[in-house]
Amino acid sequence: EEIVLPRKKTWDKLAVLQTLASTVRRDPTAAHYMFQDDPFLMPRNAASSRLFALSKESGRNAARYIIQHFPQYFDKTFAEPNVPCLMPETLTPQTEGVSEEALKEHICLRRVKESVDLFDQLVQAGTPVSLETTNSLLDLLCFYGDGESTLEKEEEEKEDSEEAEKAPNRQLRRGSQPAGTRWSLSLGSRENNNAERIFKIMPERNAHSYCTMIRGMVKHGAPAKAYDMYMDLLNQRHKADVHTFNSLIAAVGGRGRGVFFKVFLNHMVQQGVQPNLLTFNALLKTLRRCGGVGRSMSLLVIKEMEALDIEPSLATYDHLLAIFYRGVQLPSSGIICEVLDDVEHRSFAAQDPDDGAVLSAVSAVLQCCELKDIKLAYRLNKAMEKGDNWRFLDMERLNTYWSKFFSLLCMMEQIDVVLQWYREMSPSLFYPSAKNILDLLQALDAANHLDMLPSVWEELLDELLSLQSRDQHPQEIQLAFATCAEDIRAAHEPAGRDQAPLQWTGSSLGHVALLFSRAGRTQDAWSMMERFQQINRIPSEQVMDEFLTCAKQSNSADAAVRLVKLAASLGLPSSQKLKSRTKKEFELSEEQREALESITDGDSSDSDQE
Amino acid sequence: LTPRTEKMAVDQDWSSVYPTAAVFKPASVPLPIRMGYPVKRGVPPPKEGNLELMKIPNFLHLTPPAIKKHCAALRDFCTEWPSALDSDEKCERHFPIEVETVDYVSAGTSIRNPKARVVTLRVKLSNLNLDEHARKKLVKLVGERYCADTDVLTITTDRCPLRRQNYDYGIHLLTVLYHESWKTEKWESEKSEEDMEEYVWENSRSQRNALDTLLRIKASENLSPGTEEELLASEVVKNYRNSVIALKNEGETERNMSQYKECVKKLLNIQA
Repeated sequence: EEIVLPRKKTWDKLAVLQTLASTVRRDPTAAHYMFQDDPFLMPRNAASSRLFALSKESGRNAARYIIQHFPQYFDKTFAEPNVPCLMPETLTPQTEGVSEEALKEHICLRRVKESVDLFDQLVQAGTPVSLETTNSLLDLLCFYGDGESTLEKEEEEKEDSEEAEKAPNRQLRRGSQPAGTRWSLSLGSRENNNAERIFKIMPERNAHSYCTMIRGMVKHGAPAKAYDMYMDLLNQRHKADVHTFNSLIAAVGGRGRGVFFKVFLNHMVQQGVQPNLLTFNALLKTLRRCGGVGRSMSLLVIKEMEALDIEPSLATYDHLLAIFYRGVQLPSSGIICEVLDDVEHRSFAAQDPDDGAVLSAVSAVLQCCELKDIKLAYRLNKAMEKGDNWRFLDMERLNTYWSKFFSLLCMMEQIDVVLQWYREMSPSLFYPSAKNILDLLQALDAANHLDMLPSVWEELLDELLSLQSRDQHPQEIQLAFATCAEDIRAAHEPAGRDQAPLQWTGSSLGHVALLFSRAGRTQDAWSMMERFQQINRIPSEQVMDEFLTCAKQSNSADAAVRLVKLAASLGLPSSQKLKSRTKKEFELSEEQREALESITDGDSSDSDQE
Repeated sequence: LTPRTEKMAVDQDWSSVYPTAAVFKPASVPLPIRMGYPVKRGVPPPKEGNLELMKIPNFLHLTPPAIKKHCAALRDFCTEWPSALDSDEKCERHFPIEVETVDYVSAGTSIRNPKARVVTLRVKLSNLNLDEHARKKLVKLVGERYCADTDVLTITTDRCPLRRQNYDYGIHLLTVLYHESWKTEKWESEKSEEDMEEYVWENSRSQRNALDTLLRIKASENLSPGTEEELLASEVVKNYRNSVIALKNEGETERNMSQYKECVKKLLNIQA
């Protein structure tokens, strides 16, 4: 019979890896995949996780910097086949001489300063530069705005603190300077900056030149000039394109109580320019600032979008929610349900830099406006899990989202559901903040389930103790903290026959000692310090200093001497400092002084045992 | 600092704990493993900080459930097996040539491995259209590459730098052998007795000796000497011929020797 050989299937380069990756799910007990999976090296709270992530990213940036700036050490290629994105970039322009091709090449390689110099040379030499080349030069200048595009930008960013995740966040940081200064500061610090100068000396300008200038001015914060340029454009009877209109609406449209953008929209209609998604998003963004007018207009905007068959992106929803839920009064909670309906049924691709904000906005709405609707929260969660939706949130926003979700859960749900979610979510998804812990404790309290405490106790304990001992508090609070510390100490003793005693960790022991010493309970603090040697842990500098201060307050020089002895026996490097401090601040008797002198560094040899 | 093994559920999804090949992490593997040379009168060292466990390659990322999941996910990339080929011998009938190539994977900076260019072709000669002469000539040509027990010709090529080139060369070799073995050269007629693969009785010394002996017996007994053809066609001579051929071709076995004994006795009319 006939043998039919099936046709061979072909697939994308990454398809196999992606399918294999789809078999893997989130591991609930592990921290984020980028961290080292070791109990000592895992971050314990949100601040340290952010620090670790940033340090990883900065390490990567440092490596890229070294490769870019010292390419002579990276000329041997070991990898077979070669990976070009890891090798240093060799971007040297090929064409020599002063000519239009050289200018085009410099523009291609994004060398802003050199292109401007070359252009000046060409103009002085009298060679005509074609319109397209000048337009592309203007594009380059307006897009980059700063000096050199890559190298200097990196150095500039090194000085600021760097963002961990995506580029969309980076652009938002630049808005802090006053408007207009960036535009003049950036393109050479002269009165008329480069772009305007070139624009002025252009013999002929077409619509493209005007549009580029307008967009550049808006991007670098000179909206008034942009508006003037737009008037020029209209006078010259050119047509602007859709991107220009978008930037104009975003920059200027908010003024005059929403009159301006109507003008722009009318112009768009007149010039026959079709609006796109970004137009509507820019509109909604300006409507945010317009208050009550904004609400009615935004609904009209949505209707327009549907009429034009443009699918709203996440940024649209973000702006909508911001418009409707500004302030505390809620006219209608129907909007959020509709928004969720839409979000659930689609998986989103990133189309707008502001997309990431919406999910935190939704969760904020759920929380702050006291909607307290847990069902909506679950729906939102499910919508997030579809497809690639997680990529929209970077680490900080993820943390806040999960924090709010968890506090909502604590408020609304039964205690076992809460505990189940807690086990699922931390530490892999988020780190419980102080508020979360308080909420959890309240929920446990309300459900009379305080016996569940020991199981979550350890994770909460560290957080709790570090919170308490972090700052100096007024005296009554210190006393309260000290009683709390005593309870914790009691909990660490072997309690009934069935429960195993909790183990002290170095940091928690230090915190307890701190709290005791701050509250003036020297004896208890001293018994804590003795335990350090029992569990083979080392107290931190802060603990030793605090203890010494406390001993001074209670005027017990004896305790101070004992402390220095302990420090020497543990082999701490700060023992010398403590010794000198003791000698200075305390009035020691003769034998105490002798005892102090005899504590030399020779004692530290004992501490080298296991 | 409790390791996270204490927080792991018993029914957790292990393939998400170790999704890829990774070092052995004692705080993430909830097994009480000990490995290494035992302490004096004691047990092997535990898993914490155990370099022996960290050095060796582990397959914690390829547990059977994980492999099942991978296979289920990769099923979409595969095409169906043709329904007409449901037995081995049908496969062999339609696709007589088997091509074998090996891919090598290792951890390192380079994905190239020089051993990957080797190509092996295997074909059964019974599937090729060869007559006796062609078959014998082919076997002589390939020499060691032919295995007479399984009737399989194996060609292994690695003289070209690329696998595709080696495959083409192997196919080319097969084609050339086939065509050459069908041709008969002029000098093949000079094939002598030493070149023969198997023993042929006709025109051999044994035939001549046997005929000679029979003629002399007949002459000494004064019987009428028959012609050679009659002698050759007679039963005893035929049996003798078969036994000699069996001896020479198959070697000396009990059966062959006893058969030879019987035939010689019959030929020379000896009664033991």
